[in-house]
Amino acid sequence: MASAAAGSTLLPLALVDKCTGSRIWVLMQDNREIVGTLRGFDEYVNMVLDDAIEYVTVGTTQTEVARLEQMLLNGCNIAAMVPGSEASPFREPAE
Amino acid sequence: MADAAPAKRTPSDFLKDVIGRRVVVQLRTGTTFRGVLASLDGFMNIAMEQTEEWKDGHLSSKLGDAFIRGNNVLYISAVKKRG
Repeated sequence: MASAAAGSTLLPLALVDKCTGSRIWVLMQDNREIVGTLRGFDEYVNMVLDDAIEYVTVGTTQTEVARLEQMLLNGCNIAAMVPGSEASPFREPAE
Repeated sequence: MADAAPAKRTPSDFLKDVIGRRVVVQLRTGTTFRGVLASLDGFMNIAMEQTEEWKDGHLSSKLGDAFIRGNNVLYISAVKKRG
């Protein structure tokens, strides 16, 4: 791996740890996305999120389905996580 | 970080705080259970009291005590404390 030069390797969980305290977007394995402030996580990447918003996408329409002040998200169903976005990074911007 | 961020909170810290409180448990299937969290374990198996089952935004049944197998749980959310 050319990009992983000695001393600069960023392990996956180190990236998650760097996001503690900031807003993150989480893409679930189904049609859900969750955005919230990451408060902590464990070895399974179960996540504690504050002020979370849950979105469900049907076709090309994304709708907000819940606002959750405090939540524990099961790491089992997480597909991807992207730090610090205010708009969903998983969708093409509208034309 | 400029904002007064609370200390780091691991999933186990969260779970200690929410036992005995009203919670919303969202399953992967879309079904939601609302009730009082009685107990839970490391698999996210859950025992609830005063449980209500909600489907598509409608109350579908009142279950009283209920056990939820952890593999179905998408998230657990604490309901805001009153006052």
